[in-house]
Amino acid sequence: MGKRVLAHGLLGLSALIMLLPFLYQLGLSVTLAERIFSSPLPLTLPLTLENYQVVLKKLPMARYVANTLAFALGVTLGQLLLALLAAYAFAFRTFFLKEVLFALFVGSNLVPFVVTYLPNYLLLARLGLLDTFPGLILPMLTAGYATFLLRQHFLAFPREVLEAAHVDGASSWQVLFRVLAPANLPALVALGITLFISAWNQFVWPGLVANRPEMHVLTVAVARFAGGEGSNAWGPMMAASVLATLPAFLLYLAFRRWVLETLMEGGVRG
Amino acid sequence: MTGQALAPASRPKEGWEAFLFLAPGLFFLLVFVYLPLLANLALSFMDWNLIRSEARFVGLENYRILFQDPAFVQTVRQSLAYMGLALVGNFLFPLGLALLTLQVKGRWPEMYQSLLFAPTVAAVSVASLVWLYLYLPAAGPLAQVLRAVGLEAPPLLADPQTALPAVALVANWKFLGFHYLIALAGLKAIPREVMEAARVDGAEGLPLLRRVLLPLLGPLLLFLLLSALASSLEYAFVPVEVMTQGGPFGHTSHLMYAVYQEAFRFFRAGVAAAEAVLLTLGLGVLILGQLWLLEKRVPHG
Repeated sequence: MGKRVLAHGLLGLSALIMLLPFLYQLGLSVTLAERIFSSPLPLTLPLTLENYQVVLKKLPMARYVANTLAFALGVTLGQLLLALLAAYAFAFRTFFLKEVLFALFVGSNLVPFVVTYLPNYLLLARLGLLDTFPGLILPMLTAGYATFLLRQHFLAFPREVLEAAHVDGASSWQVLFRVLAPANLPALVALGITLFISAWNQFVWPGLVANRPEMHVLTVAVARFAGGEGSNAWGPMMAASVLATLPAFLLYLAFRRWVLETLMEGGVRG
Repeated sequence: MTGQALAPASRPKEGWEAFLFLAPGLFFLLVFVYLPLLANLALSFMDWNLIRSEARFVGLENYRILFQDPAFVQTVRQSLAYMGLALVGNFLFPLGLALLTLQVKGRWPEMYQSLLFAPTVAAVSVASLVWLYLYLPAAGPLAQVLRAVGLEAPPLLADPQTALPAVALVANWKFLGFHYLIALAGLKAIPREVMEAARVDGAEGLPLLRRVLLPLLGPLLLFLLLSALASSLEYAFVPVEVMTQGGPFGHTSHLMYAVYQEAFRFFRAGVAAAEAVLLTLGLGVLILGQLWLLEKRVPHG
């Protein structure tokens, strides 16, 4: 019993410390400019929405949201499609060099991103794709992790069902999209949300490739604002950062059990 | 089990079909991961400033430049420091919290999982801005609290002594929840009876630990250790970029950030590529070494 109380105490304290930066982020975003440093607490009364008004007036947030959405959706849907196709082949087919090709897929996660960014940047510049959505999205379509995860789910699928479908004359394409994909919908959605959140939060690559202000994604826009006009304007900066973070957080809150389960699965087996 | 062969693999059509299914994914991996990897290797033997149209072959000159550069040696040392701190923040802490979570019952485990994982969902670039405020010298909340209890509040990010740990703390805070989740999943996969037996104290404790728990836990612990070490520099990348840009005087830089700076700030493409090759080799040795250990320790079957 005492042990359990101790566990709750330590876990609760850790959770509080982990959440503290978010309290400051939210608190500062509704604090008056002249009160920002008046106390070390996250929240100082009276509350105000003027920081949000400043941000919405100064920054074209709708544009940034649209950019981020296009980028994150492109990366997510692209990776899901590529991974579905590849996972099907790896799970149900035997073919020449299968092990080597699978190693190439999974091993792609181990290549540090700084190694590939310069060659990729130069390639995109040569193709004239800097400051375009294809330039932002295409190099992010490396679906090694997604392929690995979906293959695990496919392998656990009862093979009798697939055989029956084949006997009924269904093509591989139909089996994949009419049988396997619907049957694994929860896993697909959870994986999709994980990929979407991770793409939504991307900062380095969009910052390099989409440098024209009208192409900025949210993370880059907030960082540029913080480094320029908004530097030392902590209230507006935090308001902008709350707006940039909120969509990913709401998605996480809505689907957190699925997301956590997917990650736990991928982590252990990976 | 349902593991029957789906169809005879000898149908020649199937091999072709498999490649058609693989081709799109493979295309992107080759174009945006593996060819760049090779291009980077080639570039590491060139002298090029990104602006001139011609790159000049210089052999191992870039590597020689690196090894004779005290700044590079400092970068390597600091990379090891980041790894050491990740060992605490992304291995020991998450493991401890996961063990504690096994002790609580009911709805609580899920509650703690959701809360501790929350920082992982935040964009690290945005979160780093919040920490900039927390760390502000004199007026920031941390400085105010330290002063209130009679301590000196150093300018954490400007002081070469404290800047690296302060940045590493942000990286470890951001990704602790992810490693906690993996640790928890791994611990849950261990049979319950073994976990029960682990609570047995007294004379049987030590042999039990060595003969039963370590063979079972060993692979998991190694795996967690590996993921904490191998990801530590990547985790610290954005916090460095947002909070210090490598400063003060390069004291928060590490190998991964140095590659990026050489390439995109100083336009020394060849040197950046050479550094990237060394980084890849270093991480590769680390990962393969740990995987090999893992393979050896896992009782197969």
